[in-house]
Amino acid sequence: MDTPGYVALSRQSGLLREMQAVANNIANSSTSGFRREGVIFAEMISAVPVEGGSVAMTTTRARFTSDAQGGLQRTGGTFDLAIEGEGFFMVETPAGMRLTRAGSYGPNVDGELVNPLGHRLLDDGEAPIFIPPDARTIAIAADGTISADGNPAARLGVVRSTDTTALYREDGVLFRPEAPVEAATDAAVLQGFIEKSNVNPVIELTRMIEVQRNYELGQKLMEREDERIRAVTRTLGQASP
Amino acid sequence: MRVLNIAATGMEAQQTRVEVISNNLANMSTTAYNARRADFADLHYQQVTRAGTINASDGTVLPAGVQLGLGVRASAVSMKVEQGSLQATGGNLDVALEGRGYLEIQLPSGLSAYTRDGALKRTGDGLIVTADGYPVIPEITIPDETRELTINANGEVYAYFDDQVEAQLLGQFTLVAFSNEKGLEAVGSNNYLETAASGQPLVGEPGTDGLGTFRQGYLEASSVDPVREITELIEAQRGYELNSKVITAADQMLGATTQIR
Repeated sequence: MDTPGYVALSRQSGLLREMQAVANNIANSSTSGFRREGVIFAEMISAVPVEGGSVAMTTTRARFTSDAQGGLQRTGGTFDLAIEGEGFFMVETPAGMRLTRAGSYGPNVDGELVNPLGHRLLDDGEAPIFIPPDARTIAIAADGTISADGNPAARLGVVRSTDTTALYREDGVLFRPEAPVEAATDAAVLQGFIEKSNVNPVIELTRMIEVQRNYELGQKLMEREDERIRAVTRTLGQASP
Repeated sequence: MRVLNIAATGMEAQQTRVEVISNNLANMSTTAYNARRADFADLHYQQVTRAGTINASDGTVLPAGVQLGLGVRASAVSMKVEQGSLQATGGNLDVALEGRGYLEIQLPSGLSAYTRDGALKRTGDGLIVTADGYPVIPEITIPDETRELTINANGEVYAYFDDQVEAQLLGQFTLVAFSNEKGLEAVGSNNYLETAASGQPLVGEPGTDGLGTFRQGYLEASSVDPVREITELIEAQRGYELNSKVITAADQMLGATTQIR
């Protein structure tokens, strides 16, 4: 295969990856706290053995995570929490501290707040949060203060990464911060709400159609290239006696 | 090709959601039923390019690599532990629980189960049982000649007799609390079993230690909100359709690939 084929091929494999990202976004359109992700393509120049010539191929170079606010759904649950603004909850996993925007928590047997996967929610001092079992009313204020029957019991840790690009996705709607975290000052905690996925189905669907059409376009290019080579071969074959 | 699998996990997740919603709607008139909600979590991420990789052409360090997600799964079906509204029935053996706590009942196997369904009945022998006939613990027997029965807020059962002016105390109900109610295992018939996640049953007197109180003549209605469930149902249906569209698109792309000459 000659250069045009390889250029088209690099585009096709990139499009398949983008399709995978779109599919994952759509699959997670009901995952609370999910952040939509996308891939960024970059041009990859490779030299051709002709003086001054080069050819541009494409490669998936980077991913981005949209930090747009997801819609808030009212659930009325005491320990259903949503963050309005930039910031994350801290949870303790067996692999260490992780950030998340998913807000469904509940007390475990020991009275500590945990998420559905059993990871403990952490306070502003990165310690687990204990909920007194005999508390009748639990109120969580916008600044994260948890009051049991009117008495302050703990304060939720809401943090943000000092480098927003140094967040790695892990399963369970978790992000692993590679950079230090700092207290998120302009974030508000809402009790009784859950932040939904920030995937916009219309945008994803449009992207999906775009990817599909671009893929077909690449396909056409490859077919044309194939025909061209065939024609050349045929012509050359006829020319020689 | 992973796209098909990813979309399939999405369809499966939405189907789980529809199943949970349909169970909620089916139980919208079930006494003391707590609505459930399906929670989802994303699956493992595939590292395509690690962040921090050095760009081959100009030596710069990439700030963000490429991570591709592999779909979604149901992480939990959680129970919304909340008080249902009270419905007046007027029955003297209908008790609604206001606040925390469960009634303890004895299963034929000898195990204890826990319920908030207060539609109690009386057997031929006068024993107070649940609608399924399981005795409530502690066992309270109502004598045949009882003219009227009252149950006060603290769960004390009094009987009035024709030949006595004063009411006679027959017994007192207890309530059981769990440190993690969401960890209880639902076994149908409005009954729950203790699990390792729920913690030990903590027996106490109604109205004390944060436990709820009794209200005679009422039943606790289901906490299902039909409006919320219907909107969720529509969302789930559309989510399902979106995922199926992805499958169609991915299939057409694959079809195009196989046609390369």
